[in-house]
Amino acid sequence: MLKIDNLKVSLEEEEKQIIKGLSLSINPGEFHAIMGPNGSGKSTLSSVLAGKDGYTVDSGSVTFEGRNLLEAEVEERAALGIFMAFQYPIEIPGVGNMNFLRTALNSQRKTRGQEELNAADFLKLVRAIAKDLEISDEMMKRPVNVGASGGEKKRNEILQMCLLEPKFVILDETDSGLDVDAMKLVSKGVNNFSSSSRSFLVITHYQRLLNYIVPDFVHILVDGRIVDTGDKDLALHVEETGYKDFL
Amino acid sequence: MSHVDISGWYNSLQQEFRSNSSKIEKISRRSEYWRKSNLDIVSDFVYDSSDTDINKQKGTCLYEPDLTIHGDNLEFMNKQSNQISSIMDVIADEQSFAKNYFGRLEEKSQKRIPRPLARDNTLDPKVGFALSFSDCLKNPLVIHNKTNTSNSNCFQRNLIVIKENVEVTIIETGNNLSVFNTVTEIYLEKNAKLNYLDFTGENNIFPKICHKFCDMAENSSFNHFGLKLNTKATRTEIELHLNGKGINTSIANVSLLNKKNHFSDENVLINHNGFECKSRQVFKSVLENDCTSIVRGKIYVAPEAQKTDGYQSSRSLLLSENSKFFCKPELEIYADDVICSHGSTSSSLDRESLFYLLSRGVHKSKAKEMLVIAFISEALEEIESEDIKAALSNYIENWISSFFNE
Repeated sequence: MLKIDNLKVSLEEEEKQIIKGLSLSINPGEFHAIMGPNGSGKSTLSSVLAGKDGYTVDSGSVTFEGRNLLEAEVEERAALGIFMAFQYPIEIPGVGNMNFLRTALNSQRKTRGQEELNAADFLKLVRAIAKDLEISDEMMKRPVNVGASGGEKKRNEILQMCLLEPKFVILDETDSGLDVDAMKLVSKGVNNFSSSSRSFLVITHYQRLLNYIVPDFVHILVDGRIVDTGDKDLALHVEETGYKDFL
Repeated sequence: MSHVDISGWYNSLQQEFRSNSSKIEKISRRSEYWRKSNLDIVSDFVYDSSDTDINKQKGTCLYEPDLTIHGDNLEFMNKQSNQISSIMDVIADEQSFAKNYFGRLEEKSQKRIPRPLARDNTLDPKVGFALSFSDCLKNPLVIHNKTNTSNSNCFQRNLIVIKENVEVTIIETGNNLSVFNTVTEIYLEKNAKLNYLDFTGENNIFPKICHKFCDMAENSSFNHFGLKLNTKATRTEIELHLNGKGINTSIANVSLLNKKNHFSDENVLINHNGFECKSRQVFKSVLENDCTSIVRGKIYVAPEAQKTDGYQSSRSLLLSENSKFFCKPELEIYADDVICSHGSTSSSLDRESLFYLLSRGVHKSKAKEMLVIAFISEALEEIESEDIKAALSNYIENWISSFFNE
């Protein structure tokens, strides 16, 4: 599904290389976790996959279902089926959450040549998802993420994921700022959403999220390179010993 | 004025105003009230409209008009219109209610700021309406301006008197097809309320210079909302006199300009003369393609106007480097127990917000539209009527796709 080959990425403004030759292959239905110390390039990787400005790809390639992902615009990537749950979801005062969700869904459907969803069907769909994630009507009526707690913002990200039904999901430090109850709720949302045709890339500092979202593969990212790959036990090892063995 | 009858009172007023006109400072680049302004809109009142499809100049029409001002004629459309008379009839009438009002506010509003264009209007009005309301209006009164291309300019003069405890909403739309200089004098008695929405014609290529002067008595309210959708050149001058206690007022404006060198120029002076009065000013400008927006907003607080609460916010969204926003907030305060604040910002579209919307698949032009709508929403919130607010939001949301796609 996703193939990253010897990817090297620098910050546009500083000409500093952050990712220094990263290769990774993710097949349908697989859960991959990337762990690493601060500054190892985890967030840069997720930003580059989502298409954020401010990075220069020095060399290497990223293909998604055979297509050169690096040439696609941000919104095209979304329509292809790529979704990144933000580490810090953005607050957008003045843009209503429902309006945003409906516009996003229908924009993707339009790009894919599908019919737009009417207001009634949309409402039914979004309310069912919100109920599962214990998101209140009041929160849905607010402007996007405005006045929401850290947990509410992350649940809103998962709601967007469930609504937009992507094929490939990047969870960028989704566990940061979550208490245990919120983490369980978010993990439940992710696990219910998983299927044999969907893949996940979970980026995290800590092992604890991986108790709830169990990965098939764990990769250790240090200084822009994957230095070790294993199964969920590798995450437990990191939890006990830290990253010093990999530095 | 030889072609119309005039009354004795109007004739003596004219003589008085004409004799003291020479004291009014002329428009010049050196004047602080015109610095950075586009003087083209007053330097030559002849505009080449040969390239313009005048049928496209329709104006922002949310509702059917009750009154259409077509050239020098007033065309009444429905029953509400019986409270309206022509200003030209009024100034010919020796017994008219207008003799206690006409020109008084224009003269008063020359005190702090020279307003030579308003005086030109006073000395030579061509058309306009006079309204005196003793009862509330259930529905908004909609006035549509449809000026003639054959006139090189149009001096429109209006007078509005709202009696005690009466509430009125007026919506003004227009396609002005010639240079338009309007003066509206407004008198609000105790507990009177006027909501005034001025939707200057969208995509309008002719200059519009609009003066509104308002005298307010105890516990009255005046809410004014202005909208400029790619209008080529506008200048608005609003001056309010808050003369009693407990007066509430809100002045808001939205300018969305991205056609080459378009220009909006907003000037507001609020004179707080009474105890415990509130005023709010909210300006939002979205600019691109060498467009300019100017906001000069002044709050004057007299020594007796204790417990004044004055707020002013003027913000611009600059979508390109060559767009310009000039803001001059002023506070002149002589009372010691007041709250007055002002804030002004200029920024570009927030990249993080844009990326967030794009990452969810929202198309780029739609994402920009959503962020612009979000930016102006604070000004739209100043509109009190939920129905009008919803209708206008809907209208702008439909209109704005042309803003980014043309």
